[in-house]
Amino acid sequence: MTTAPAPAATRPARRPSNLVPMLVVAAMVLLLYWPLMLWANVGPAARSLASGADLGCPTALACATQLHNPVLPAPGQFLDGLKTLSLPPTAETSVPYNAVVTGGETLLGLGLACVVGLVLAVLLVLSRSFERATLPWLVASQTVPIVAIAPMLAVLLGQWGVQGFIPKALIAAFIAFFPIAVGVSRGLRSPDALQLDLLRTYNATPVQVFTRLRFPASLPYLFTALKVAATAALVGSIVAEISTISFSGLGKMLAENSRASDTIALWVIMLYGALLGVVLVGLVGLLERLVTPWRAAR
Amino acid sequence: MASRTMTLQRTVPRRSTGPLLLGAGLLGLLVLALLLARQDAPASALPWATGVLLCLLLSALGIRSLAAGESRAARVLPAACTLLAAVLAAEALLRANAVPAGLIPTPSKVLAALWNARVVLLQDTLYTFLLEALLGFVVGTLAGLLLSLLVVRFSFLERGLLPYAALFSSIPIVALAPVVVKAIGLDWPSKLVVVAITVLFPVVVNTVRGLQSALPLHLDLMRTYAATPAQTFREVRVPTALPFVFNALKIGSTLALISAIVAEFFGTDGHGLGFRIQIEVGRFNLDIVWAAIVLASIVGIAFFGVINALERRFVGTGREA
Repeated sequence: MTTAPAPAATRPARRPSNLVPMLVVAAMVLLLYWPLMLWANVGPAARSLASGADLGCPTALACATQLHNPVLPAPGQFLDGLKTLSLPPTAETSVPYNAVVTGGETLLGLGLACVVGLVLAVLLVLSRSFERATLPWLVASQTVPIVAIAPMLAVLLGQWGVQGFIPKALIAAFIAFFPIAVGVSRGLRSPDALQLDLLRTYNATPVQVFTRLRFPASLPYLFTALKVAATAALVGSIVAEISTISFSGLGKMLAENSRASDTIALWVIMLYGALLGVVLVGLVGLLERLVTPWRAAR
Repeated sequence: MASRTMTLQRTVPRRSTGPLLLGAGLLGLLVLALLLARQDAPASALPWATGVLLCLLLSALGIRSLAAGESRAARVLPAACTLLAAVLAAEALLRANAVPAGLIPTPSKVLAALWNARVVLLQDTLYTFLLEALLGFVVGTLAGLLLSLLVVRFSFLERGLLPYAALFSSIPIVALAPVVVKAIGLDWPSKLVVVAITVLFPVVVNTVRGLQSALPLHLDLMRTYAATPAQTFREVRVPTALPFVFNALKIGSTLALISAIVAEFFGTDGHGLGFRIQIEVGRFNLDIVWAAIVLASIVGIAFFGVINALERRFVGTGREA
């Protein structure tokens, strides 16, 4: 009892924190990054030196950290790019502003996907014939490259005066509804025969069985599916921004910088996209804790 | 008791009316589509559209009673009939509303494009599927399985690496694709890497969860048998993990094709379905675009079906993860 007082000591069997191993792994990756970056960049540097370009540095190894379009950016370059691309966060050319736009589209699409997915899941569970007639095509809809549909959808909706946010949200919803439908229908089927029999002994109506047993039982499945769907919807809205006419959003920045071969900017946008994905999944996790507190202990 | 008998009665399949209704509905759709093909554009689309919807309703009722029962036909036919009805209805509706082919081509035009451009499209499909999606899928799965074995073996990795795997699986692949394509080059290896990375994280997360989900009871039993760790692994942990692994493989099979196609949008050497779709969208040849989409979907469904069949072979149908 001479060790430092741990607040968690009263709770038995608490798992040790993951923080230290995670930091060790991160440090190792950072240590490995420098030689990897040099190795990846020396080739292009040597090539442009041999072609007679003036990079302002004597050897290929010295130039590896200063390339204009590095394969892997040096940490200094990356931080510089991060600063210039994100500093006035409200500017329309900054990445944070565009990330917020994309995030909004994704959330809207996720909401739409939720509605469609829940309706489909209920239909799939209620009717075997509906499942047999449509499930193969629901699966097939996931292999459709949405990128090809995106421009058509934008033009089509534009005819009815729907522009801007909505087409992207629709495309996000199109890619995100499937995990929700499949996850929730599995959840609605998860009560076992014993529980269903119990409700039958209570003389419960089918509606009561649905609201009291099947729906609560499906909630954990819903949130697991929502986490998958959140990343899928993010992919959908970014792809939609790439392939439709859009003036803001991460997808538009990706397309522009990919065309301009600005690799450092691409890396910065990738970082922001990853952060946005993590934040969205985190939001779903938060919602899960609020709605299903009996599972939060895990 | 009364309700019980009623539910029993409802599960008894109704015969005879199903095929009749379905036949009437499909025939009606076909006739409508053919009648519409005669003329260019009807003055008012409303009566045609009502007819199409009525026929759709008829076919839906037919499909419903067709899907009852446990026969092999009841499992395969409904989906095929749904597709047929949907395609015919789309054809009739597009013609009735006189939608220009530059916006949405009718299914018959797509079929014609599929036939006319078959050589190029098949080459593209083979390129995208074999070199990029399938190879990337295999590489990503093998790497994922290896990584999850390491993670399960060393608890330091589980605590230090697994949180990152969960984190990385929420990265949108499209943000990754341009960087990888710029770094590795325009040829197929760069798409292979994108696909492999996409497949890797679901495999790691699911396999680790599966390997750790063995019941303590079973593990204790193996201990009482004095089984070696290798035996326990082979006899208990691997069978429990298999449903989880196949779940990841199913997710990966759909992701693989999409990410290969999306990665092709950021630069190719002139092959592949993604390249074809992008270049033909730019030329407003939407019938070829849809033909490419149809091919991609067929390949995707077949891929998913193969994984599904493998799952049934190795896991069995009764168990659900």
